[in-house]
Amino acid sequence: MFSLTRQEKGVILFLLAMALAGSGISFLRKKYSRVETVIECGINTWKVDLNKADKEMLMGVPGIGEKIASRIIEYRSEKGAFKDMEELRSIKGVSAYRFEKIKESLSVK
Amino acid sequence: MKRPLLALAIFFSFGIILASLISLPFGWIYFCALILFILSALFLKKELLFKLLICGLAFVTGIILLCNAQVIPKSDIVNFVPLNNNSLSCVIQGVINSEPDFKDNKTFFVLKAEKAWVKNRKANCSGNLLVYIKGRPRLVYGEELILKGELRRIVASNKKQGYSNYLSNQNIYSVFAVKEKHHVIMIKKNQAPKIMLLASGLKAKIKRIISLNIIPAQASILKAMILGEKSAIPQQIYNSMVKTGTVHILVVSGFNVGIVAFILNLFLKLIRLPRRLRFVIATLCLILYCLVTGASNPVLRATIMAVVFMWGFLIEREPDQHNALALAMLFILVINPKQLFDIGFQLSFASVFSIIFLYPKLKALLRLESLKLRFLRNLASGCLVSFSCWIGTMGLVACYFRLFTPITVLANLFIVPLATLITLCGFSLIFAYFFLPAFSPYFSQSAEMAVMLLFCVNSFLVKLPWAYFNLASN
Repeated sequence: MFSLTRQEKGVILFLLAMALAGSGISFLRKKYSRVETVIECGINTWKVDLNKADKEMLMGVPGIGEKIASRIIEYRSEKGAFKDMEELRSIKGVSAYRFEKIKESLSVK
Repeated sequence: MKRPLLALAIFFSFGIILASLISLPFGWIYFCALILFILSALFLKKELLFKLLICGLAFVTGIILLCNAQVIPKSDIVNFVPLNNNSLSCVIQGVINSEPDFKDNKTFFVLKAEKAWVKNRKANCSGNLLVYIKGRPRLVYGEELILKGELRRIVASNKKQGYSNYLSNQNIYSVFAVKEKHHVIMIKKNQAPKIMLLASGLKAKIKRIISLNIIPAQASILKAMILGEKSAIPQQIYNSMVKTGTVHILVVSGFNVGIVAFILNLFLKLIRLPRRLRFVIATLCLILYCLVTGASNPVLRATIMAVVFMWGFLIEREPDQHNALALAMLFILVINPKQLFDIGFQLSFASVFSIIFLYPKLKALLRLESLKLRFLRNLASGCLVSFSCWIGTMGLVACYFRLFTPITVLANLFIVPLATLITLCGFSLIFAYFFLPAFSPYFSQSAEMAVMLLFCVNSFLVKLPWAYFNLASN
């Protein structure tokens, strides 16, 4: 059927040993895995915090582009933290339509 | 003849099949494997006994790997869905793990889950899930997202090759539906390995080049042939190619990898690089191409075989097709043993297996070498390759697609050369776009014409009497 040199036998045994060891460890890790609770919180925490988010995170919200994200950061550094979501309306580029679109993805804490 | 890997791959596969049929206790099987391993190490010098022990060990390793693959960890996202309720409203954070695709006004992709917000608690989680988003948000592979939607457990299908079984073979057990675009927040970019991001960027660039230069229907065929992107192919054309048994050209397979390897070697030879360097560059490019096309089973198989062949020549050892095929099989199955039940895997290996086993035997039987005219000899060889492939895959096609396609042998004789031409035009267009943009219209027009010809030939063949038989309706 096939013939093997001593080195080839060694290599095959080594690879099979690795596959066995790997699958054994993986099996134990899966079997004894637990669900780790990070924090008890409300479901709304998934929203982007208008006062803490950086530019990239703000740009991740559908409806906020690079310019508006920069203006939000500028507004925050000039006038301090947002107290109310309505303050967003005073930022240039945030029309009534855009405000309705983005407000569901944002929160003010 | 030295074909140790072939025997190991066969015993390993039998182990997987046995484990899929009956439930076996992992601990006891693992204990047997350890005993077999110790005995194999002890009887290293006994030729026959060692061979028997090593085949037994490969068989038991197959069982162990499948048993392990079937265990779903408690932290997997699917375990968040209560058993008595099939769906759960929640928020999930994770990284996009596949190229986002768009079909029927929905964007879909695989998400690697990291955190979940369920019932007022945030918990770490793991596992992949299939995400559907209504509309077409701008999303890219490797982005980290927070999504709000409905999580559902995938219910196993009774069909042998149902979509749920396909997903389960890919270790995806849940679906997440996002109804609004604003329920998607991108928090970080480029969270995937650098090589995968490079492959994803390259794929997007190639897609753009094809879309810019070629009209939509033809572009969809070219994208499928070069990148394995099938979602834009008109359903009518796809069905027609299934009926002629030529749909294999619409997925990236060994055929495409062979063409890429050929073009690369030719190009590197032209610029007179030393052989060793040429093979190193070709290997790296083939691996990159494999990643660009999503590393599906046929591409992975062909890439491994091509790399084994090239490096075999390099170290001056005669490469063996059977061993290379077995190595590719073991490589894929060790990573995910469930792939043995994937139709793409079965068709890919069955076709290559029949070409390397059946074709030489048929060739010898029909004494093709005695044909004096070279053209006739080549034509007969082409027919025999196509016939061997058809014989090898006929059973699988009949079983899964409920089709019997006698036209396949004839169709492949016309369609495969056309597909080669289209693929060559496609790759030339991409190279020309980067290095000689003025030449790209020539290649794009040639590709368009060749695809048009392919449509015509295929629609003519499918209309021939007894071209195909639908077994489901009979």
